[in-house]
Amino acid sequence: MALMPKRVKYRKSQRGVVKGNAHRGNTVVFGEFGLQALEGGWLSAEAIEAGRITATHAVRGEGRLYIRIFPHKSITAIPAETRMGKGKGEPEYWAAVIKPGMILYEVAGLPESAARECLARVAYKMPFRCRFVQRRPSL
Amino acid sequence: MTGAVEIQVSKRSAMGKQAVRRLRRTGMVPGVIYGHKEQTVAIQLPADELAKVLRRGTRVVDVKTDGRVEKALIREVQWDHLGKELLHVDFYRVAADERIVVTVPVEVRGTAPGLSAGGVLDQPMHTLAIECLAVRIPESIRVNVGELQLGQAIHVRDLVLPPDVRAMADPEAVVVQVKTPQAEVEAAEAAGPAEPEVIGRAKAEEEPAE
Repeated sequence: MALMPKRVKYRKSQRGVVKGNAHRGNTVVFGEFGLQALEGGWLSAEAIEAGRITATHAVRGEGRLYIRIFPHKSITAIPAETRMGKGKGEPEYWAAVIKPGMILYEVAGLPESAARECLARVAYKMPFRCRFVQRRPSL
Repeated sequence: MTGAVEIQVSKRSAMGKQAVRRLRRTGMVPGVIYGHKEQTVAIQLPADELAKVLRRGTRVVDVKTDGRVEKALIREVQWDHLGKELLHVDFYRVAADERIVVTVPVEVRGTAPGLSAGGVLDQPMHTLAIECLAVRIPESIRVNVGELQLGQAIHVRDLVLPPDVRAMADPEAVVVQVKTPQAEVEAAEAAGPAEPEVIGRAKAEEEPAE
């Protein structure tokens, strides 16, 4: 089942604007390789789950996958052919707000070729451009 | 161990975000050199040279400024949000006989026999803080996992460190371990609620609305 918060303060949230670039969560921390978003937007919980399933199939029990994002934002929608007014729609799905540069998934315990193959398949499921990144040299 | 790498820098007059942006467009990286109770000097250096030094894993360099050579530690490097371009570098003056604290990468060597028994290699510690002489910073700390069985771990206290090097991390901290792979938890998750609990809303209020 797709990810979702356990407890929230409010069921519905305003849309907001994805401004600027990621200055946190933009480095590979847990694994050795990662998938970095090059564009911003909303990433639905279903898309995150699709990526997880794809990665799990690609690595076939080897290595370890880390999901660096979580869908904290509820996205509402009103049914089709509804008249204007009558307030905000009901929550339809949950999404993570992604800024350019954010690391979406990380893998560990895999050789580079296998990690590239795995994350390329995951990237295909993402609604925006992504790139493969490696852990930066530590200072 | 890394030998002394020389890096040619020049003094920088461009200050402020507009000026350094113009500087970066010319292929230079702004930086600063400080420490040892000497004057802080704003410098600039070619981005490709700095990238080459960083790729090699060099930590202490000989910084050449106007004919003067100073030994300095690369203390901080700033990257852009995508981690592609270098934005700024900090050099910290060090003496050859000075002991400093730096973080070095932990390199896993060998194949653990626990992996063939169905285990997964988990490395919670990718870098290790060590105290060593400024001119003898090891490139990495190598960990041999050749005898690691399923359920076993290598702790900081088990690491074989080069002479004169002291680990600053907790001796009980796990560096690398072979764990049993986590079972899929889809079935358990599927039984969860369809909507999250709303904080502060009483159950009595919630029920008539539904």
